[in-house]
Amino acid sequence: MELAQMQKSLQDYTKSLFLEGVLDSQFLQLQQLQDESNPDFVSQVVTLFFQDSDRILNDLSLSLDQQVVDFKKVDPHVHQLKGSSSSIGAQRVKNACVVFRSFCEQQNVEACHRCLQQVKQEYYLVKNRLETLFKLEQQIVASGGMIPAMELGF
Amino acid sequence: MTVEQDCVALDQFPVGMRVLAVDDDQTCLRILESLLHRCQYHVTTTNQAQKALELLRENKNKFDLVISDVDMPDMDGFKLLELVGLEMDLPVIMLSAHSDPKYVMKGVTHGACDYLLKPVRIEELKNIWQHVVRSRFDKNRGSNNGDKKDGSGNNEGVANSDPNNGRANRKRKDQYNEDEDEERDDNDDPSSQKKPRVVWTVELHKKFVAAVNQLGFEKAMPKKILDLMNVEKLTRENVASHLQKFRLYLKRISGNQQAIMANSDLHFLQMSNGLDGFHHRPIPVGSGQFHGGAAAAGMRPFSPNGILGRLNTPSGIGGVRNNLSSPSSGMFLQNPTDLGKFHHVSSLPLNHIDGGNILQGLPMPLEFDQLQTNNNKSIIAGNSMAFPSFPTQQSSLPNNNNHLVLEGHPQASPSAFPGHQINKRLEHWSNAVSSSSSTLPPAQNSNSIIIGHQFDVSPLPHSKPDSLEWNTQNASSSYSIPFFYYDSSQMRQSGNYGPTTDAMLSSNPKEGFIVGQQKLQSGFMGAEAGSLDDIVNSTMKQEQSQGDLSEGDLGYGGFSSLRTCL
Repeated sequence: MELAQMQKSLQDYTKSLFLEGVLDSQFLQLQQLQDESNPDFVSQVVTLFFQDSDRILNDLSLSLDQQVVDFKKVDPHVHQLKGSSSSIGAQRVKNACVVFRSFCEQQNVEACHRCLQQVKQEYYLVKNRLETLFKLEQQIVASGGMIPAMELGF
Repeated sequence: MTVEQDCVALDQFPVGMRVLAVDDDQTCLRILESLLHRCQYHVTTTNQAQKALELLRENKNKFDLVISDVDMPDMDGFKLLELVGLEMDLPVIMLSAHSDPKYVMKGVTHGACDYLLKPVRIEELKNIWQHVVRSRFDKNRGSNNGDKKDGSGNNEGVANSDPNNGRANRKRKDQYNEDEDEERDDNDDPSSQKKPRVVWTVELHKKFVAAVNQLGFEKAMPKKILDLMNVEKLTRENVASHLQKFRLYLKRISGNQQAIMANSDLHFLQMSNGLDGFHHRPIPVGSGQFHGGAAAAGMRPFSPNGILGRLNTPSGIGGVRNNLSSPSSGMFLQNPTDLGKFHHVSSLPLNHIDGGNILQGLPMPLEFDQLQTNNNKSIIAGNSMAFPSFPTQQSSLPNNNNHLVLEGHPQASPSAFPGHQINKRLEHWSNAVSSSSSTLPPAQNSNSIIIGHQFDVSPLPHSKPDSLEWNTQNASSSYSIPFFYYDSSQMRQSGNYGPTTDAMLSSNPKEGFIVGQQKLQSGFMGAEAGSLDDIVNSTMKQEQSQGDLSEGDLGYGGFSSLRTCL
């Protein structure tokens, strides 16, 4: 694939993520923080996010599977996930967390289970999309090109 | 930082502002770090609150601002906020994904300068430097006209690149210059730097105060004071710089806190009747009773009626000195409300103060530099609560001659934060004091520092004496905390220290001094206004800002900064 084409693909792809609400403007801010002095910033941060989230989701699954669910443990996890997902711009994950938290407050175990599923789903979605995004970027860079700056006019 | 470094940093401010970022979430921390770098701040990160505290304690001057997450596993963010404010008097910004107003409220009441919601945007971070400037500016403002002239030494000087402050500094400098001839000789005289430091012991300070009182505060000139003191090997320069600091301190106290210091033998404030009925009688140095254990109202030479302490009695104000006609201290009469707040703020035995004057018997503020007084030497330390009214009062208060109305309540800020700070500080201090004998221990570990410690250790135990510009310059004058110690020991006996947290005490030995002071201050607030102790305490608190305080202002600065943050 030609470089220009790859770059265009990347842009379109990224745009679609925004349009779908998978990512929000916070992600753009991350991209803007990336520069020569910080060339892999976005992928580094996103990797950290994945690590943290994987762990949190695991803990959440364990907690909710207990006989007696300790919401005092569940809530902080969800809260943290909400914080980190919002920081990187994983909008749908964040929204799912918000819903999750409200059910935590109500101590509704069943609803929480459903919420957890929802969160996981959104998380895997964004994870998948971002990984694809990074692959595209890597291809471009490998071909000697520059990652196009994201246009905000969509 | 050396003076030069500070100056340089100032010039570029806010570029290079040193931020400590704390968040257990590594994703957020990494993003925050990047955002801060983008704003051209100098960033240090840690994901543990404990580590953050260690870093801060290691060197108070190392950071200008702290940003901390609220929910952290090893320590509640609010707790960290309190500790930082108390110990280091740095502006702290809270960060959280909780948008619930009650969290925001909690942040504010614990003394946060700001509360940011995650996800943090760079636009918000671009302006956080204002909090640093504001807190310094407030501190400076607290010291009013009396500023330290020594170059950048003061809190104002150092890290204060704000143009307003710069102007204010210059203005203060000029004023000061007009007031005092000898002022800068310590700073300017290169030879003074090589002189062996004079340690201002309690005894020495008492003599100093007695001499000043005798001469009249306004008229006290170093040479005369020196003559009166009749101490061998004390030079006029030593006295001059000590006097300067003292005045600055007083000035700062009056400016910032409208706390009325309880009298104490070290109290050299004199109030004129005219103002608002606060009359300070110079207390002979010899009396050495700091109002005993604060709690013990007995110590107070003044009748409790006039206690500005506002804590307990509306008439607290009057209580400062005998002659205080308490009612006149209308300004301070916010007490009832203030009291409420005060209580809330500090767990110190404010309430128990008879006069309500927390400052009663507070050890002399270490920070003499605070005591700078301009022509108008009245320092009115109003109750923090009284703050709103304070300014007006203040203007009326300043009367012609050295009237130092020190209100015992340095905690102007209604937030609990200052109070805690005060309490903890005082406790710390008093603990430190009590633990060490009243002699001046040479060592500089926790308790001993207080005693023998040179004054140059700015309010908060600075690990670096040179951080205080004036200190380095005024080599000859080092004020040891001892006199404070003296008070504190007295106070200590009273045992009415509020929450004494050993943790606090041990955390920072140097602080101990300040801590103690503050504590005392709050504890005795309202008992009697006007003691130097109060002044010191308030000064200390206020001055407890990072680094800048180094000038040796004790507590006073911190306090003001607290107020700022609120």
